[in-house]
Amino acid sequence: MRENVIETQDLTVYYGKHRGILDVNLTIEKGEVFGFLGPNGAGKTTTQRVLLDVFPPTTGKATVFGLDCQKDGVEIRQHIGYLPGELALYSNMKASDFFKMYEFLRGENGTKDYWQELADRLDLDTSRKISQFSRGNKQKVGVVAAFMSKADLLILDEPTGGLDPLVQQTVLEIVREVKADGRTIFFSSHILSEIKAVCDRVGIIRDGQLVATQRVEDMFAQRMNRMTLIFEGMPPAGIFKMDGVTELERADKSITLEVRENLPGVLSTAAQHNVMDIETHNISLEEIFLTYYSKDNGGSHV
Amino acid sequence: MFRLLVQELKFRRNTVIGWGLGLCFFPLMYIGIYPSVADEMAGFADLEIYQAMGMSLGTFADWVGSIMIVLLPLIAAIYSISNGTGTLAGEEEDGRLEMLVTLPLPRWQIVTAKALALAISSAIIYLIVSVVSLIVFLAIESQIETVMVGKDLFNAVMAGWPFVFAMGMIAMFLAAFCSSRRFASMISTVILVVGYFGSNLAASTKVLEPFEPFFLNTYLDGTGKAVIEGQGIEDTLVLLGVGLVSFILALIFFQIRKLTVGAWPWQRGKVEA
Repeated sequence: MRENVIETQDLTVYYGKHRGILDVNLTIEKGEVFGFLGPNGAGKTTTQRVLLDVFPPTTGKATVFGLDCQKDGVEIRQHIGYLPGELALYSNMKASDFFKMYEFLRGENGTKDYWQELADRLDLDTSRKISQFSRGNKQKVGVVAAFMSKADLLILDEPTGGLDPLVQQTVLEIVREVKADGRTIFFSSHILSEIKAVCDRVGIIRDGQLVATQRVEDMFAQRMNRMTLIFEGMPPAGIFKMDGVTELERADKSITLEVRENLPGVLSTAAQHNVMDIETHNISLEEIFLTYYSKDNGGSHV
Repeated sequence: MFRLLVQELKFRRNTVIGWGLGLCFFPLMYIGIYPSVADEMAGFADLEIYQAMGMSLGTFADWVGSIMIVLLPLIAAIYSISNGTGTLAGEEEDGRLEMLVTLPLPRWQIVTAKALALAISSAIIYLIVSVVSLIVFLAIESQIETVMVGKDLFNAVMAGWPFVFAMGMIAMFLAAFCSSRRFASMISTVILVVGYFGSNLAASTKVLEPFEPFFLNTYLDGTGKAVIEGQGIEDTLVLLGVGLVSFILALIFFQIRKLTVGAWPWQRGKVEA
């Protein structure tokens, strides 16, 4: 049986009368990359902050490494690397001095080789002052600080925010390396593609409630594809009447379909009718949510 | 905690230099100018308006008391209020405190390190001003008539530090208690201003006399006698005690504070029925 690194029981946070999260029950196992997916304000950051004892839950309980987040916060945080979503740094320092300070405050030694390696990979000039950095470079400083301690658990709040696509790929590559190292990552994001790229399991949070947790491959296996097929001439009606396919729109020489299954059948039929071009549309987070909500009226797959 | 203290002191290095040098204008200007205004000042010895402001200008010792014990701590307290509110509420609002509290450090150590850094940095500022005061005094000593010696002046200036310490700790407590830095700064400033005018008015108005002990400036004696003989030990202990109690309150309220939320202590989250 695998060990749970994070476990929450009916975790609820209210900010005064405003709901933060409601009855969140979550388990994250050792060595897995858990993606926490949800739109802004859904409760991702709130959940992560409770785990780090930035503030206590209103009700419920959270444990990390089997220890209570409120009672044993200091011991827990010795084993956590954290990248906050709203990153704020000491801007008068050079990046290298910031990493030295971070190491010093964590009571660690000998992290220089690793933070320098990470900075090089992310193309971060550590000799420059943080105040001179763009938002993306500041984010790189945060990423390096979170990873440099080689902590057993990494809590990353939207780690690729503000980074260019190439650097995003490097960050995801580092996440994969950490996973290969047997360490655990709790990774919040609102970008489906990066969740798909690195996560083993995903939790979807909406309006403070965890509406689904499942393996990433299962989630994407159920997903919809939306595609627009452009033909030489308009093909006859009803050619895409098949299981798992819905015709959404028929225009001049194009047909837009929603394809849940039977993609090979769609492609083969399209080819028989002289398809000229196919446009596929990235599925939005909202559409994934809608899929979940429509499947059962309560909207819960947990 | 020692590591954080070292870091907090490093953060304040430039501020200490800036404030230390800035406040040196007080002795450079006001003590340095004294030989040329000494005769005129003797004529202002008994003016009620100055007495109402807690000042007496008759002798060099009175002059030093009015400037370096009455006015200098008021200005230096602006540093401690700004630093005391900034180091907790300010860093919480700009997000840097989140980085700190998610390190493996207990909260009491964070508050203690920050309070010590504030106390030490303000003491260094005072030390710089005291040394410069002493140098200026030695430069003009031969041109003035006074029973004071250099040590008296040095001690008199340093004696204002407990007041600055107390204001800094009050500001830290308010930063841990209030919902935002704005409120903490506002209340601290009101305490400072009301304390100054309140103690002077209470000293000169019979009806306000019972309130005198509640004003912090009451415990700073700006008379020439206090400059030569030193501040009353009880008064100094009161200021240090206020600072210590405020620090303990800061510890308590920071421990229970919902960081990053910006709420008053009574605004706890409640699950709706």
